[in-house]
Amino acid sequence: MRIAADRMLGIALIGLAAFIAVQAMQLKTTFSYEPVGPKAFPIVLAIVLALLALVMVFRPGPDGEWPHKTLALRLLLVLALLLAYAVLFTQLGFIVSSLLAVTALARLFGASWVKALMTGVLMPVVGYFLFTTALGISLPTGYWFASFL
Amino acid sequence: MIDFLIEGFGVALTPLNLGLALLGALLGTLFGALPGIGPINGIAILMPLAYTLGLPAESSLILLAAVYTGAEYGGRMSSILLNVPGDAGAVMTTLDGYPLAQRGLAGPALGLSAVSSFIGATIAILGLTLFAPLLAKVAVLFGPAEFFALMVFAFSSMSVMMGKDPIKTAIGAVLGILIGTVGIDSGSGVLRYTFGMPELYDGIDFVVMIIGLFAISEILLMLEHSQRKGDDGELPVLGRVFVRLKEVLWCKGAIIRSGLIGFIIGVLPGTGASVAGAVSYTTEKRLSDKDNTFGTGDMRGLAAPESANNAAAVGSFVPMLTLGIPGSGTTAVLLGALMLYNITPGPMMFTERPEVAGGLIASLYIGNIVLLMLNLPLAGVFARVLTIPRWVLVPAIAILAFVGVYQLHSDLFAIYLMLLIGVFGYLLRKLGFSLAPVILGYVLGGLMEQNLRRALSISGGDVGILWQSGISLGLWVAAVLLLVLPWWISKLLAARQPSTR
Repeated sequence: MRIAADRMLGIALIGLAAFIAVQAMQLKTTFSYEPVGPKAFPIVLAIVLALLALVMVFRPGPDGEWPHKTLALRLLLVLALLLAYAVLFTQLGFIVSSLLAVTALARLFGASWVKALMTGVLMPVVGYFLFTTALGISLPTGYWFASFL
Repeated sequence: MIDFLIEGFGVALTPLNLGLALLGALLGTLFGALPGIGPINGIAILMPLAYTLGLPAESSLILLAAVYTGAEYGGRMSSILLNVPGDAGAVMTTLDGYPLAQRGLAGPALGLSAVSSFIGATIAILGLTLFAPLLAKVAVLFGPAEFFALMVFAFSSMSVMMGKDPIKTAIGAVLGILIGTVGIDSGSGVLRYTFGMPELYDGIDFVVMIIGLFAISEILLMLEHSQRKGDDGELPVLGRVFVRLKEVLWCKGAIIRSGLIGFIIGVLPGTGASVAGAVSYTTEKRLSDKDNTFGTGDMRGLAAPESANNAAAVGSFVPMLTLGIPGSGTTAVLLGALMLYNITPGPMMFTERPEVAGGLIASLYIGNIVLLMLNLPLAGVFARVLTIPRWVLVPAIAILAFVGVYQLHSDLFAIYLMLLIGVFGYLLRKLGFSLAPVILGYVLGGLMEQNLRRALSISGGDVGILWQSGISLGLWVAAVLLLVLPWWISKLLAARQPSTR
């Protein structure tokens, strides 16, 4: 019999519940004026979570549709892209990092190179002036370009 | 009793707030129409911007509430034109809306849904005006123990009504509550689940949480749909844009009944527009589908869920404003937005901050009229929004999400956390969880713990205080009944089935 996704999730959640409960028990509390303290609530929740997860292990729902290989790869690609966008956000500044991220995202979602580049240039530039001048949000200009601006 | 409404109109009719209601209605309709961006995403994206603009609490609430109600209008676009529900509340709209569009009646269908949305929302706003102050008067009597019982009731009602799988709904809520426990414990000053990271001492920021959970996971989910071909492109011909009075009058029974049903369902904590749409459609089918025309493009089958889901959207403001318990995922987000302003919604809001409660209710009246005026003539323009390709939409969501989170503290930790929560949200959605219980748990969990601890402090640790008063005992009984009754009834029916044969 195949192991249903719900079963694995249930087991993982029981593990999580145990972790939460152990962490909560290790909390060191000094003398407290109230009877409950910070430990009880997470421990009760962990017990509820474990019970619910146990029900799911024994009565799993139907398996959902999981992404096949190529889609999973693209999914990871988008995630890596967003992560890179985050890393470069302050390094390269808003405009340059967004230019790269928007162009790449547009490409991944099926735009042609020309369309992707146009979106990649227009969106960050318009966005930058909208955010900074109209909304007064300060956005990173980037370490590399700070001296030029 | 109506004083708060008069003061509210005074607040809502200032040029700034009137403009914000207009802007919110417009943006909300757009967000609702855009594939994949429902009311929660729209509010998640706009909330940080409203916050940085330095708007006062009532103004930003007016903006966000207009987005919410506007999105309920916009959600019907893709349901009717493309047979793809724009958000969960618009699922039932596809059943008769799309067949109408296929018969060349897309324009009248859009017009009729705008009119029935308007009437449904109006019924619910009147209900809100009448009942909210009354409920607030009762809610003043609530102590910590009653509030704790109320939240237990809210979670059990949510588990039963929301989503297909009650176990998963409950797990989602527990996970949400647990995420809410991260950070310094306000009662004792102890650090919980921060793992030595100072960025987590204040807990996981609300904005980070909802943008990650909804916007980022939506980007990942959209990738899946972009694989499918043919879901974007040609729209059916709209035909005449205005709906005839005769057609509206033919549906009047369906519209009014569904408006009432929608309002009542919206008021129940944890149940929102999607449940209201489903219940009203099946009720109307049973009552008035004499010739079996429902599902083939019957106007009443379109009017009923449209009236109900707008009424439910408004109805869910009742528990949020009076008890501080949101009636839906979207009102949970609005509640969180209010908390950013250090306003804890609840019974005292009508007396202590009447400009917020009254201003919001008054702005709902105004926003509703604005929405009808926008949606009748501009249906064609909004329909064009559906043709915006994903390769424009996704980068735009990404930029708004990054900027919204970055401007909170100008640091990258929040962005990494947002991405992590996004992956978590994506996995949950793939595993068949709905995200509304998670966000409700996250918003309510802290209050739940506070009230529990306050109650037990009062009683000196005696658990009995939790069900000592009549109100709390009633809520406990109601919560247990909600959990047990559906299971018991289905068992009873199953037992009776063979004997009748």
